[in-house]
Amino acid sequence: MSKISKYDAIVIGGGHNGLTAAAYLARAGKRVLVLERRHVLGGAAVTEEVFPGFKFSVCSYVVSLMKANVMRELMLPQFGLELLPLESTFTPLENDYLLRTADTDQTYREIARHSVRDAETYMRFGPRMGQIGMAVRPILETLAPNAIRPSFSDLLNVKNLLNHFKTLSEEQFEYLTKLMTMSSADFLDEWFEFEPLKATMSASGIIGTFMGPRSPGSAYVMLHHYMGDIDGAFRAWGFQRGGTGEVSMAIARSAEHFGATIMTEAPVEKVITKNGRALGVALENGDEYKSDIVISGLDPKLSFLKLIDENNLPSDFLNSIKNFRIRGSSGKVNLALDGLPNFTCLPGDGHHLRGAISISPNYDHLERAYDDAKYGNFSKKPFMDIILPSVLDPEMAPPGKHVMSCFVQYAPYDLKGGWDDNKRQAFGDAVINTLSEYAPNIKDIILHRQVLTPADLESTFGLSEGNIFHGELTIQQLFSLRPAVKWANYTTPIKNYYQCGSGTHPGGGITGSPGEMAAKKILGLLS
Amino acid sequence: MKHYDAIVIGSGINSLSSAALLAKTGKKVIILESRNEIGGMASTVEFSSGYQCNIINDTIKWVSPKLLDELNITKTELGLIEPEITHVALGENNKHIFFHRDINKTAQSIRELSEKDGDNWIGFTLYIKKLCSFLEKLYHITPPTLPNVGVFDAFALKSMLNPIMKHGTTGIVDLLRVAPMMMPEMMDEWFENKLLRGSLSSIGVHHSSLGPFAASTGYNFLHQHLYNNGIIHNNHFIKGGTIQYAKNLKKIAESFNAEIRVNTKIKTINIDDALCTGVTLENNEIINADIIMSGVDPKNTFLKLIGAQNLNPNFHRQVRNIKYRGSVSRIHFALKNIPQIKNISFENMNTMFSICPNIEYLERASDTVKYGSLPENPVLEFCFPSIINPTFAPSGKHILSATIQYTPYDLRDQKWNADTNKQLKQIVINTLEKSIPNFTSLIESTKIYSPMDLESEFGLSEGNLNHGEMTLDQFMFMRPTISSSQYKTPFNNLFLCSPGTHPGGGLHGTNALNSVKEILKN
Repeated sequence: MSKISKYDAIVIGGGHNGLTAAAYLARAGKRVLVLERRHVLGGAAVTEEVFPGFKFSVCSYVVSLMKANVMRELMLPQFGLELLPLESTFTPLENDYLLRTADTDQTYREIARHSVRDAETYMRFGPRMGQIGMAVRPILETLAPNAIRPSFSDLLNVKNLLNHFKTLSEEQFEYLTKLMTMSSADFLDEWFEFEPLKATMSASGIIGTFMGPRSPGSAYVMLHHYMGDIDGAFRAWGFQRGGTGEVSMAIARSAEHFGATIMTEAPVEKVITKNGRALGVALENGDEYKSDIVISGLDPKLSFLKLIDENNLPSDFLNSIKNFRIRGSSGKVNLALDGLPNFTCLPGDGHHLRGAISISPNYDHLERAYDDAKYGNFSKKPFMDIILPSVLDPEMAPPGKHVMSCFVQYAPYDLKGGWDDNKRQAFGDAVINTLSEYAPNIKDIILHRQVLTPADLESTFGLSEGNIFHGELTIQQLFSLRPAVKWANYTTPIKNYYQCGSGTHPGGGITGSPGEMAAKKILGLLS
Repeated sequence: MKHYDAIVIGSGINSLSSAALLAKTGKKVIILESRNEIGGMASTVEFSSGYQCNIINDTIKWVSPKLLDELNITKTELGLIEPEITHVALGENNKHIFFHRDINKTAQSIRELSEKDGDNWIGFTLYIKKLCSFLEKLYHITPPTLPNVGVFDAFALKSMLNPIMKHGTTGIVDLLRVAPMMMPEMMDEWFENKLLRGSLSSIGVHHSSLGPFAASTGYNFLHQHLYNNGIIHNNHFIKGGTIQYAKNLKKIAESFNAEIRVNTKIKTINIDDALCTGVTLENNEIINADIIMSGVDPKNTFLKLIGAQNLNPNFHRQVRNIKYRGSVSRIHFALKNIPQIKNISFENMNTMFSICPNIEYLERASDTVKYGSLPENPVLEFCFPSIINPTFAPSGKHILSATIQYTPYDLRDQKWNADTNKQLKQIVINTLEKSIPNFTSLIESTKIYSPMDLESEFGLSEGNLNHGEMTLDQFMFMRPTISSSQYKTPFNNLFLCSPGTHPGGGLHGTNALNSVKEILKN
């Protein structure tokens, strides 16, 4: 059976960026079709009831970087977007702990317990990073220029950016340069002395990347995660009511509100091209859909190496895509619990369970975890960023029970000998064992566990090599070079074929930004 | 109280070059050296009766041709020797890679290990040559004052147009892509053979504390290959030892009436408000001058000789945060006889050898920096200076000089002392014996320079041979700090010419050339 139908635009992939692009195009009056391979929408931003009664943000688990104008323009709060702020960051230590909360005074006291100097510095550090975040913002909101053959508007954009940089003070420019090039550990060492504080802060520089806190370049990833500061008064990392999938669903509802058609269980086999021009898509079941333009929300590897015939791509572009670094380094362990974990260093319930729990007692812990992965093994004592969604949103688990989401590094995609079920379970055990060093009751309260390796992230969510950012956030893969030079403004060498995933400028995270900017580029709203 | 037009602190390659360039303009210049011999990192000494060694550098990667023009001297006159085989990467199974001046011969040698890599070799060398042609221009520019780029800064960048005209903006984009890369990333784009990948990656970490998996090792790789015409692993030895290079520069400086005083320790650089007036020596003698050039590293210049109390807090913070992290040691063996390396003939021993079988080996060695320990399997680069300069050892006898990576300045559970040096020596011997069986039996005596020794002997902060790590956060307008990257300092009349300035370390003299250009501009 082959249905033929003609759309103005087809979006491949119902991840949050694909949906965002679709919503913007539909909002502009276009006839839009979204095709999602799985039975659920959301891509990596998805909620699933993995075990009866227990709902999980299976992959992506916190939200902070969602752009304010996207929320506004797509009326997302009206369609179900509701962010519950994480109340704290808790770092359990061997006999002590470090706790930072939304209450500035409490945070000051808690840090001062370990180092008064750091407590003082911490109060200055946040605003300073906020300033740098503001300074970077125009770069993120500029259409990445073609560095080889810049158009007139590209040159204008570059000129505006240069003028913008001239408004920075020497000190701001110094910090910006350092953040773009240094390791997060080196950057933090210039500010702080208490190692658990530094290690925990540096950890946002390694999330989703195949780097350690001492690897140059990790400071930029830290900055990328700090952008969440920009709009809110407090470091607004939040949890979406109903799980991260509800963010995607809100965008999907918005898209449908504007008239977009969304199909699930509709895996795309190929983009149909003729004479270097995209004409539509062919599904795996043989169905074909015609459209004026095709937009891929998938990562660059899938967008070009799978959906397009290599022969239709110029060789330099093909090389760039093949060389695009997309090494997955993280895994996810989702636990259904019979009760709350009890931390030895801070027993019982409290603020510390209502936010992020970070297993990052010192740099060495993170570096040794990275070393394991460098040489092809998963970390025996991994770094973890943990949240307990059911504490914030009781509907995530049956009464009295809880769900726990552990983001784990490092788990290399290229594991020595490859991933299989034994390795997956051994990886899960390493996570539980590490966790039980801090919360010994964890083993007794686990009802179910779901272990996702990078290989699983690839096969389940279509993330090549399990990379959560659709490609590493290293400076040679940013801005005009993301994903490839000449093609960083959402266009591709195939006419009428566009890209809008996290593998494009300005990169990964639940931001909606690539989707928004791609749609605006297509609509001619961005020059 | 004596008065000169210019004082140059230190007598390393950049100091000597600076002195020569300034003296050439008719200025009355004095060089002050704290050691009993000039040369700095180009020093050669007798480390054991009858045996000489080049303490730090056995070879020079490149010299600024503009400096040679200015000083009216050629590479040959400076004593540079260019061996036909520039480097041998020793393979674990005794299948080595020979790097020749003739890139076709190198390709041939690589082809024996990997057909595909051999085919890619010429393309790779052309690519590196192209990227370096941009750096060659960039290295001779005084970094712009950022973020407020002035008209003069923009004008200076015009020399970059030349390579852009030749290669198009693609070349610049390639440079922007490759410089922040880590070595395995660059290697993945070109080569598959483990030994080749390891050997090339070791260039990217040359004299660095970073491992090959660290971003920006791509930049350090390029840094070693300027003006090398695409010859990878290029090495120039010096006739008479590395000191001869310094002596030749000294001769030029003296021909323009520059004075040189050795054994002259400086106690302070004298600051009067925002003006630098001169120096006070340890014996309390004061020497004044209109221009004071510091060839010692930023930490010594600002924190030791000027003193933190004279720095404004923001500048003090910047200077304090410069990363040094010396991780390189040197070891010199006096040998009874010439060692036999498997599958290497005596005729081919007048070159540089390296033990770095693959990238993982290199990275594992570098892990020790993070944890402050000594590597079990160090990365070694060694040569036989006595073959290049037979006077270095008694007749029939030889020396082997090796550069050891990684040996961190900051050891965690131990301190650098005679015991650590002994431990390090044994580690090196064990590693060498894999390629040179019975090496132990050849040893007559040994001399080690740990990062701690290099610091105390040459005043190199933390033993760093580049006067500051060669990383992108300490590159160009960030070197040594964002407020002093134009060779000027917060103090009038005080200028910097050390490798701690743009364009960084090595015995190429570009720092001196740029610095003097800035001085003469005023």
